[in-house]
Amino acid sequence: MKYNGIYPNKCGKFGDFGGIFAPEVLMPALCELDEAFEKYRNDESFKKEFYQILESYGGRPTPLFYAKRLSENVGCKVYLKREDLLHGGAHKLNNVIGQALLAKRMGKKKLVAETGAGQHGFATAIAGAYFGMETKVFMGKVDIARQAYNVYRMQLLGAEVIPVESGSKTLKDAINDGLRYWITNVRDTHYLMGSVVGPHPYPLLVREFQRIIGIETKKQIMELEGRLPNAIMACIGGGSNAIGIMYDFIENENVQLIGVEAAGEGLETGKHSIALGLGRRGVLHGSLMYLLQNEYGNILKSHSISAGLDYPGVGPEHCFLKELSRLRVETATDNETLESFQKLSVLEGIIPALESSHALACLEKIKGEFNKDDIVIINLSGSGSKDLNIIKQRLEFKVK
Amino acid sequence: MNDTNRILDLFNEKNSLEEKYFMPFLVCGDPSIEQFISMVKKIALYIDLLELGVPFSDPIADGPTIQEANMRAFEAGINTKVALDTIKKIRTFFTKPIVILTYYNILIQGSETIESSLDNTLRRFKESGIDGIVIADLPIEEAGLALKYCKKHDISLIFLIAPTTTDDRLEKILKEARGFIYLISILGVTGAREKVAQITKETIKRVKEKIKTRIPVFLGFGISKPEHASAVAELGADGIIIGSAIIDIIKRNLSNFNKMEQELIEFVSSIKNAIKRSN
Ligand SMILES: Cc1ncc(COP(=O)(O)O)c(C=O)c1O
Repeated sequence: MKYNGIYPNKCGKFGDFGGIFAPEVLMPALCELDEAFEKYRNDESFKKEFYQILESYGGRPTPLFYAKRLSENVGCKVYLKREDLLHGGAHKLNNVIGQALLAKRMGKKKLVAETGAGQHGFATAIAGAYFGMETKVFMGKVDIARQAYNVYRMQLLGAEVIPVESGSKTLKDAINDGLRYWITNVRDTHYLMGSVVGPHPYPLLVREFQRIIGIETKKQIMELEGRLPNAIMACIGGGSNAIGIMYDFIENENVQLIGVEAAGEGLETGKHSIALGLGRRGVLHGSLMYLLQNEYGNILKSHSISAGLDYPGVGPEHCFLKELSRLRVETATDNETLESFQKLSVLEGIIPALESSHALACLEKIKGEFNKDDIVIINLSGSGSKDLNIIKQRLEFKVK
Repeated sequence: MNDTNRILDLFNEKNSLEEKYFMPFLVCGDPSIEQFISMVKKIALYIDLLELGVPFSDPIADGPTIQEANMRAFEAGINTKVALDTIKKIRTFFTKPIVILTYYNILIQGSETIESSLDNTLRRFKESGIDGIVIADLPIEEAGLALKYCKKHDISLIFLIAPTTTDDRLEKILKEARGFIYLISILGVTGAREKVAQITKETIKRVKEKIKTRIPVFLGFGISKPEHASAVAELGADGIIIGSAIIDIIKRNLSNFNKMEQELIEFVSSIKNAIKRSN
């Protein structure tokens, strides 16, 4: 299939999905961002500076690691793309460095971002410090209470954390308030969207900055194995780590692409974040996508043990890839995730982020589909050190 | 009657746009369905058009005041179905134009596809008695379907114009705009402000110069006092829209409904008087 370079179209559409459903006040800023991105995406000096920062400051390329003991355990060859080793502890750095560099070239002085778990907020604070740009991070009151450690880390880096009291006081409301702030301060401020969601051009530019994951992975697996993998698996919150690793494999139709959504406490409880699997089409935060919503179009609260997957929508490109039957959508519950979290820690000495553990948990569920020589690559999107407070409530060890 | 549009009738009655119009904004169902209907009855005399918010769970263009009003309305049980019933009740006594303000997602649910949902929802709103609609997150670029079905159901699709709207987009919008132009007076979300911004004057002038047809310009966002109302009327706006300042009155008097209605009437009549003086 021919795919790369075609989507989104000029209007930001991936088939029916995506678009620019934004208040009028933001339209000029979105058009300006679109123009700036089109100008710089093929600009050699921009690309060079972007990659150089990721290399010298971020630690790219990240390893593609053959997880030997895990492979023996599940019965196929498992490789982990180690985005957890990137500076900041997650794939988020790729996106924030790209956007902050773009904002700087556009002459913007300030950054504003939303955060759920604090992971994207922390990454934005890193970029703010690196580029010397004043940084504000909107974060739901509920999340601030759940993620005190990340709040502190952002503050240490000099970012201002602004509590969000509206709505459900979580990620979606932090995006609402961040966008409201942007509406009021649009002239000198860049809104640094944390995933492949939001109005055009965000799903496009976040994907382009995250593509580095897949470009490296392809090169690395060819060097290591001389062939492409049978499957690539990644967790899906908004979808940035998934599209990042998958995009350069979309045209390789023999490579299965498997996205894993958070099933929270279980499908039947209604407490989950399965927007692709169970959502209906709708418009939220500027984009047409699958959404968890009631019959009247009001957005429902999502649930997940991992704050990074706790979002009632999913990026428009994933919706489109699902519709094309190119993306296979699976789920993992909180409990399945915890088991896999612990398993990787014990088997490989790597503590994965709870988000990434969803992809590991899914492999556990579908491992029977793979032969011994099959290659499965999992995007280990982040490190679990940020999650230890949550894990500790569920998992206690005794000192004898 | 479904084949009339009261907005067009209102502006067609006169040969020029010399009069100044006042359109208050209330959230449908705030603070309760019954109290809301009662308030509309009380203020009907002093207003020229009525704007009703049909709440959405994630209103990104709205400040805290209207967000809280939405929450009260949700608690009172508002949803599309209840909003339609409420508008029908208002239509038993209110004959002036009604404009609803909502977000796109509210309009595109309920049927098989987005297009059939939009067709259906707009038809039902028209049947309930509305004349115009403002969709806060639908820019001209995405408005193709909405324009098609608003035309089909004889609803004026009202577009917003902001101080930051560029000239070429302004022209695109003016080409499609019906009913009136909703000019956002500030760079910001809804909410009462102390002063009328300097930016307002420039924007009104810029928009007025571009208008080739006889479409009136209404100014909204941030207007909170009779002095503002007369000032913006003098600047050349044909109408003003006041939302948050009115909703603040509701919020201040949640425990005393009589006082709420009394203050509302006083405020609304003072605005009407202020713009009448500048007529
Ligand atoms: C480590 C990690 N993985 C995944 C995600 C989910 O985001 P996305 O789906 O955009 O990759 C997050 C979000 O915070 C994260 O921190």
